[in-house]
Amino acid sequence: MKLGLVIDLDTCVGCHACAVACKEWNGQSLMAGGAPDYDTQGAEPSGVWFNRVRNFEVSPTASSGCSKTVNVPMSCMHCEDAACVTVCPTGASYKRAEDGIVLVDPEKCMGCNYCSWACPYGARELDQIKGTMRKCTLCVDRIYDQALPVEERQPACVLACPAHARHFGDFDDPTSRVAIMSKAREAEGMLPELGYKPVNRYLPPRAAPTIDVSGLESRTKSRPGLRDRLADTKLGQMINKMVSL
Amino acid sequence: MKPAFSVIFFTVGSGAGLGLMFWLALSRFAHQGAASEQWWTAAIASAVLLTLGLLSSTAHLANPGNAWRAFSRFRTSWLSREGVFAVALYPVAALYLWAVYQQQYLLISILGAVLAVLAIAVLFSTAMIYACLKTIPRWNNWQTRLAFPLFGLMSGAVLLLAFVPQARPFAGPLAAGLLVLGGLLKLSYQKTFNKRDGQHYGINQALQPLRKQQAGDVRLLDPGHSSGTFLTQEFMFLLAREKATRIRALMWLLGFALPLGLVLLAPALAGFAAVLCLGGLLCERWLFFAEAQHVVRLYHGQRGV
Repeated sequence: MKLGLVIDLDTCVGCHACAVACKEWNGQSLMAGGAPDYDTQGAEPSGVWFNRVRNFEVSPTASSGCSKTVNVPMSCMHCEDAACVTVCPTGASYKRAEDGIVLVDPEKCMGCNYCSWACPYGARELDQIKGTMRKCTLCVDRIYDQALPVEERQPACVLACPAHARHFGDFDDPTSRVAIMSKAREAEGMLPELGYKPVNRYLPPRAAPTIDVSGLESRTKSRPGLRDRLADTKLGQMINKMVSL
Repeated sequence: MKPAFSVIFFTVGSGAGLGLMFWLALSRFAHQGAASEQWWTAAIASAVLLTLGLLSSTAHLANPGNAWRAFSRFRTSWLSREGVFAVALYPVAALYLWAVYQQQYLLISILGAVLAVLAIAVLFSTAMIYACLKTIPRWNNWQTRLAFPLFGLMSGAVLLLAFVPQARPFAGPLAAGLLVLGGLLKLSYQKTFNKRDGQHYGINQALQPLRKQQAGDVRLLDPGHSSGTFLTQEFMFLLAREKATRIRALMWLLGFALPLGLVLLAPALAGFAAVLCLGGLLCERWLFFAEAQHVVRLYHGQRGV
């Protein structure tokens, strides 16, 4: 199995519900080891997040004429060739052979931060209270839990997403929803140049239909509004001068 | 990258200790008879430098109780290899010193060779810890691979000259030559990478899925956090240009130019040269971290890394 997420950059609204749901679940999780917060009521509140949502702007192009905001949630990509696991000197970081999930064993981690240096995605953050590394577990303690109803055996972030922008499944299975979706919409991973083969896939934003504004422009140009026409008269200029005194 | 003083002190200190150890072992091949008092002082100094360095390296661990586990991944992790080689070096060094004391020439040559190889192995492993990270282009190159062994051997040679004046005919030209080589390596590093900052990876690569559909340029609007995070602490170190220029000048002066002048013109002041050289290497190592840029910066507002 090759478990991972598909994230739809077309429908993600950037609400951070996935990130909050992640903290809610993993803050209590023994598998994850917790996700602490620091200085919560102070001037610089901070904390460990396994999932962070960033907003980017794509500048206008000649064809679209409009800029576009894209919300990009990022968590562990559960890379096929996970450098964070290779560099770990203690064996605390490991990739499961059966489903490809990358995990940290908090009992073994010595908090050297080396794995976080090897990760290009900022997926690993140090728990500065316990001194061990934290990361997304793909909710390994939900997805196999027989006590949960089948439809809830999914990562917390996927269940929380109000825009259905997040999908969880097995990329090794060509009939799975994630495999079909990523094929249909040419999903891609981040920073493929580094060669870590990230498993998580992002569906690119769809090209939005462009609104033709050319006619509008020429009309406003040929016929200036009443206010502009009045301002151009001698009287208008006089009044403007008096008012601006 | 955030320059952590424990790691800077560790790599410079243990590097110099290992370099000195290497040259001390090598110098024994050429000499019969009892080792001089100065040789013994130098041997103790090299062990002290190495040990202090290694101890300081554990200071940057957030959970040092698990440090013993770091020897377990020799097959994959350069950090693990460094630890294994460093720890393997101690019993060999102890046996070697005993052999030198007893004047057991066969043992001296065998153990001396093993010790020299182990010293280089530790230095090279340290280099590879940094050089194997594809996420940091300023480290992922041959200059970094060479830098740690070369700077260790360089400072070790200056220390040898300082501690063992009798070795001057051998150590003088050696130290001078290595200072020149080290300077050339640093020059090549600066020439190559000072120009390429921001050109290794771009924001459009970091957001590959946007590349096809959206031909426009991408910029960060909101990083998603209101104050600092672990990621900004660790990877967003901002190096002020003026400070960089000043520390670079200090590095060239203390690390290379002044020690070279002293070694060539006033070998009697080699102790002073060694202190300057170590100070210069501390500047060099600080810059090594401070100048390095991690690709995660692309997700924090930087357009290129």
